[in-house]
Amino acid sequence: MKSFGKLIAFLCVLAFVSPALASDKIVIDGSTTVGPIAKAFAEYYMSQNPDVNVTVSESGSGNGAKSLINSACDIADMSRFMKDKEFAAAVENGVLPVAHVVAMDGLPILVHPSNPVDELTVEQVRNIYLGKIKNWKELGGPDMKIIMISRDTNSGTYETFETKVMEKEKIAEGAEYVGSNGAVRQRVQSTPAAIGYAGLGFVDDTVKALRIDGIEPTPLTVASGKYPISRPLFMFTNNYPKLGSHLHAFISLYLSPKGQEIIETIGFVPVTQY
Amino acid sequence: MRLSTRKLLDRSFTGLGFISIVIMTAALLFLLTPIFIRGSRAFLFRATVEHRLLMLEKFKRGNPEKIQIEVEQTQKMRRPVYDMMSQYEKEISQLSRLEKMEKKNQLRELKKYIENLLGPAPGETRPVLWRDQYGQTRWERALAHLQKVLYREKWDYSDPTKMGQKILIPRTEDFKGTSLENLFPYIENNLKKMLSPRLTFYWRFLTDKSYDAHFFGGIWPEMLGTLYLTLGAMIFAIPMGVIAAIYLTEYAKQGTVISVLRTCISTLAGVPSIVFGLFGLAFFINTIKISESKSVLAGSMTLALLILPTVIRASEEAIRAVPVTYKEAALSLGASKWHTVLTVILPAALPGILTGIVISMGRAAGETAPIIFTAAVSVGKPLKLLETFTQPTPALPWNIYNLATEHEAVDEIRHVQFGMVLTLVLMVLVLNMAAIILRARISKKLKG
Repeated sequence: MKSFGKLIAFLCVLAFVSPALASDKIVIDGSTTVGPIAKAFAEYYMSQNPDVNVTVSESGSGNGAKSLINSACDIADMSRFMKDKEFAAAVENGVLPVAHVVAMDGLPILVHPSNPVDELTVEQVRNIYLGKIKNWKELGGPDMKIIMISRDTNSGTYETFETKVMEKEKIAEGAEYVGSNGAVRQRVQSTPAAIGYAGLGFVDDTVKALRIDGIEPTPLTVASGKYPISRPLFMFTNNYPKLGSHLHAFISLYLSPKGQEIIETIGFVPVTQY
Repeated sequence: MRLSTRKLLDRSFTGLGFISIVIMTAALLFLLTPIFIRGSRAFLFRATVEHRLLMLEKFKRGNPEKIQIEVEQTQKMRRPVYDMMSQYEKEISQLSRLEKMEKKNQLRELKKYIENLLGPAPGETRPVLWRDQYGQTRWERALAHLQKVLYREKWDYSDPTKMGQKILIPRTEDFKGTSLENLFPYIENNLKKMLSPRLTFYWRFLTDKSYDAHFFGGIWPEMLGTLYLTLGAMIFAIPMGVIAAIYLTEYAKQGTVISVLRTCISTLAGVPSIVFGLFGLAFFINTIKISESKSVLAGSMTLALLILPTVIRASEEAIRAVPVTYKEAALSLGASKWHTVLTVILPAALPGILTGIVISMGRAAGETAPIIFTAAVSVGKPLKLLETFTQPTPALPWNIYNLATEHEAVDEIRHVQFGMVLTLVLMVLVLNMAAIILRARISKKLKG
């Protein structure tokens, strides 16, 4: 019994002193689109500063915002800007969100590579997701029913699609909602009749990114603003981080040549490339 | 009932039992075989010289002289590849501007694929990300990338009523008559010498942390995180569960209130795990702010809630199975109720209680949903014990899901995913074995 009491006392002391002993940490939560950038930055930062633990979770822009509002994270990755409501809730909780635009991203419309359709207009994409165009036949393709893949409504990618393509009209029933950019790609690459959308960094040989209004989605066309569906990628912090802190060094990483190179190799557009 | 009917019924029951066991074994084999085979490839694989170079440069492992010699040998074999390409570059510089553009684009694509296969060309600046600093470290991935170097994928859309057909065009045809014509047979025939694959047992997969978003390194942070979460859940759930069970069986007045409470506990066992996860986020993190962010502490408390019903129910059954005579004997000797419970009833019920704990431990280790919002992250360092109070951790079940769906390069790192699955299955197995052995020992002690 005595030793049990000692153990409890020891644990209490541990719990009390632990925050003081624990190493520095940066907790990042949010968008699955910004995820690859945050992960690569985290690895790079930890290799330079071995005493800092940078953790990244990818749970969607909406969850990232909620996390920041509740002060449960240091950085919220978001692929859209904060909504009025989120801003108000944050301010009410004493959190002042500051936006850092870390990169630019296009929103390529993806189809299976076997699909003969190469090009669509924004209008056509909207009509597909409105359910007005139901078959690839109507677009010059084979006679196959179009399978719509969309991101879940918690995602910033969805919001971008909703404003830039759908113009706030509702996506038709029957669309399949999936939880991440990677999942959209996987669904499209395994379904010949599918159409979907994901971040620029998620396009590879297994899917085909369509030309939209005649413009191919590449870092160049996104940077120049020619590609019609593009957006900035954000990292939000509570207030501007204290100068000299690890958080400040981390959030400024995207401005450094190394940071820009990382963003470029992952497939997004560094903010200096206009 | 007639004897023959009874016999027939008896036999058919035996037959049914036999069939169900066969089906179960088949299902288990069907499930476990691929896990073991594909999972073992994370540990045992044909590693190329790039793997050894990475180990030397990043981890200071291996014999520097030997690896240096090997690198030089493979570089010598690669030399003609780069020579041929620079030769070709000279060739096309003579062409007209328009032609040059087209050829240059072709060459750029080829260069990209060769870089993926062999790593950056000598003399080029070193990329930041590890995945670009080295060529293929695994032979089977190298072969997959070789295909991309040798063949250009094209889709034939000539029949508008059908989906396109994939055709592979050998790149030799694109470069016919140029100095690059010989490049492709050269790479195909000499790839082994360029990469010198060798069967390697990478046991450090378990003890290395992951690098460059799981492209390289191992799964130590994930393993440690799972271990912390499981043990943490146990630390919270076992005392609470056992004490609750003792109260419910020994102290509480059996009546409507208690039976309602029992029904509630049983219902709690059926609540979907994601609900626990959201509750953990709302209560532990957002309301009482047990830690600033997600943390192992919050995660293990959520897991503890999840397994609490199982622990309580199993302990209750075990305590009730202790013969009443034990208790009566102790009480008749003048022992207090508390003393009786602690020294007579609990030890006798321990094997049964442990069974409940074993079952719930396996569940806690494998649950994904409760830790998504409370503890798990996709990238993070292995935590020290003290840091578990404040910091989140990667954990096997969540990272398996993350690598399968969200990761930006799923196909490149399948082996890591399978390695994680195998490790998780083995970890649960080991935890269970340990508990089973412990239980056997206690039972033996009680009998002896």
